[in-house]
Amino acid sequence: MMAAHGFWIEAWRRYRRRPLAMAALGFVGFLMAVAAFAPAIAGTKPVLCRYKGRLYAPCLAYVDRRFEPAIFAKDKFRGTYPKNLAEKDPESWAIWPLFFQDPYRAVRADEWPGRPENPAMDKGIPSRSHPFGTDQAGVDVLAKMVHGTTVALLVGFVSMGIAGTIGILIGALGGYFGGWIDAVTSRVTEIVMCIPTLVLILAIVAIIEKPTIWHTMAIIGFTGWTGIARLTRGEFLRLKGAEYVTAARAAGAGPLRIMLRHILPNALAPILVPITFGIAAAILVESGLSFLGFGAPPPSASWGSILNGARSNLAMWWLVVFPGIAIFLTVLAYNLVGEGLQEATDPRLREARK
Amino acid sequence: MATYLVRRLMLGCVTLVAITIVVYALARAMPGNPLTAQLGEDPSRKVSAADYERMQRAYGLDKSWAEGYLQWAGNLLRGDLGRSITRKQPVTTLIGERLGPTLLVSGTAFLLIWTLAIPLGLYASARSGTADERGVSLVLYALYSFPTFVAALFLQIMFSVWSKGTVWELPLFGMADLPPDAPLGSRIIDVARHMILPVACQTYVSLAYDTRFIRATMAEAVRQDYIRTARAKGAGPWRVLFRHAFRNTLIPLVTLLGLSLPSLVGGSIIIEQIFTWPGMGRLFFESIRERDYPTVMGLTLMFSVLTLLGQLLADLLYCAVDPRVSVE
Repeated sequence: MMAAHGFWIEAWRRYRRRPLAMAALGFVGFLMAVAAFAPAIAGTKPVLCRYKGRLYAPCLAYVDRRFEPAIFAKDKFRGTYPKNLAEKDPESWAIWPLFFQDPYRAVRADEWPGRPENPAMDKGIPSRSHPFGTDQAGVDVLAKMVHGTTVALLVGFVSMGIAGTIGILIGALGGYFGGWIDAVTSRVTEIVMCIPTLVLILAIVAIIEKPTIWHTMAIIGFTGWTGIARLTRGEFLRLKGAEYVTAARAAGAGPLRIMLRHILPNALAPILVPITFGIAAAILVESGLSFLGFGAPPPSASWGSILNGARSNLAMWWLVVFPGIAIFLTVLAYNLVGEGLQEATDPRLREARK
Repeated sequence: MATYLVRRLMLGCVTLVAITIVVYALARAMPGNPLTAQLGEDPSRKVSAADYERMQRAYGLDKSWAEGYLQWAGNLLRGDLGRSITRKQPVTTLIGERLGPTLLVSGTAFLLIWTLAIPLGLYASARSGTADERGVSLVLYALYSFPTFVAALFLQIMFSVWSKGTVWELPLFGMADLPPDAPLGSRIIDVARHMILPVACQTYVSLAYDTRFIRATMAEAVRQDYIRTARAKGAGPWRVLFRHAFRNTLIPLVTLLGLSLPSLVGGSIIIEQIFTWPGMGRLFFESIRERDYPTVMGLTLMFSVLTLLGQLLADLLYCAVDPRVSVE
């Protein structure tokens, strides 16, 4: 275990030497921060407010509708806070999100004192009050994108979490045990590989009655594990003959313990590389699905669904440029992280560098 | 060798059966059927319950999916892929109609990719480490990460909305505007103008990927002992690159070619969908939406056979070219 520990420290040292890979990691960190603080960055619900003597955080409603404090529904706020707070409790105060725009609806005239109604259709060209413009319905694109960051990040991690688990499990079983188990797992891998992914996904999306973003993630995960399984199988085939595995077996370790404690830590570095590239691919697939209109239905704020709006009205170029660049940068960042990881952990590439 | 081939082919058949069962079950599990998908869109074509039942029986939709699959497989063994329910044509005719347009785009893209990728890849490995090489590599890497549907929309905006009325304006949708009786010369130009954007979209991603692939395999080859030997005996840098390194990277390249077989014939669903190009990818997408089971199955079968053949071809070529690798 000590050796593996030192290996990762060494890998991190080499990774840090690559400025592009570090920049990419920084960008992923930035996206995580945006996703975590999305309700405080863009929204129409106060981050924190004092109303009738008590403190509330209505912005949590963006995380889950159930978190909206019941008192505001009872007092008939109907989602518009600024005026209602002032009218119904003159004593109240509120801390507002940095950017007063809603990701799910157009802000109406005078909702924020003195602010005009959001422009809709091709009048929504980017301006001072809407840096990224507004969509057909007048919803602010920047607000949509800020809230869509969560989706983009979750899609990558959840679907690759699923794909990684399945891929490692199937690859490990086939590679370690060989024989008929390998024959079965290899066949299953081949079958999933041969079915065109988009067809598989479109069919499953159609079967699910009310697809949510979580379904999309699960489907991408359940269809995207074949590459990981193949690589894991190869690594396990290679490592099961290693001396330390024989030693562990002689010491009485069971197959599960050998696979998890002895082989997997040593096979992890090469397996992590396709997983990182897989995150990039998952983001592409999800936005592609939303773009084709097969993603989660509104009001999920996926970047791809903003693009879908541009298809029917190409004059609204801002619906393509901003989410397009966001998807591109995110995919690029994960690809760069994957490449950095590859170069930092692959011993052959390391030797070549000297 | 013969036993290996027979075993691979038999395993391939098992895989094919499994794939078709899975896809047939999935297709039948989708809500609705070809009749409801078709009739639902047009209220004037409401049919009586009796008529509906009669049509269902006529297309074998009243049977369970297992029976339906067996019937489909039985017909397949007799060389019959069945008739499309929504388009009232044999599936083979439909595929034949769509194959040409897809090959037109993917074949052109394929030629462009390989005539550009090989020189670019060699250039990148020859100038490895210099500023201009890093620039080229970075641009290729960025292109590789650029989603095709975003690129397609960008191109549509640039060449239709922003260049409206100029010589740069290109058609957005479809394959041809001119009627079939127009003179041949102008029809060729018409189709070529329609092709530019889809071909560009299909080319750039693979171009970036393949160039990087060539560069990576070259980097591996350059590290071998025989390269050092070649340099030591006084061969010039370009000679080393072409005669010694590049020839040894041909094996993985040939494998990559084999694996790109299905996408060459299958086309790209997203690109054909955006540009409404009447090809195979669009047919696949439409047949899923229309729940047109025979067409979905015919296309699935074709894709799977091509994928399996491509893999087999790649493995065989590998053994044929590299005596160190055996089929076992």
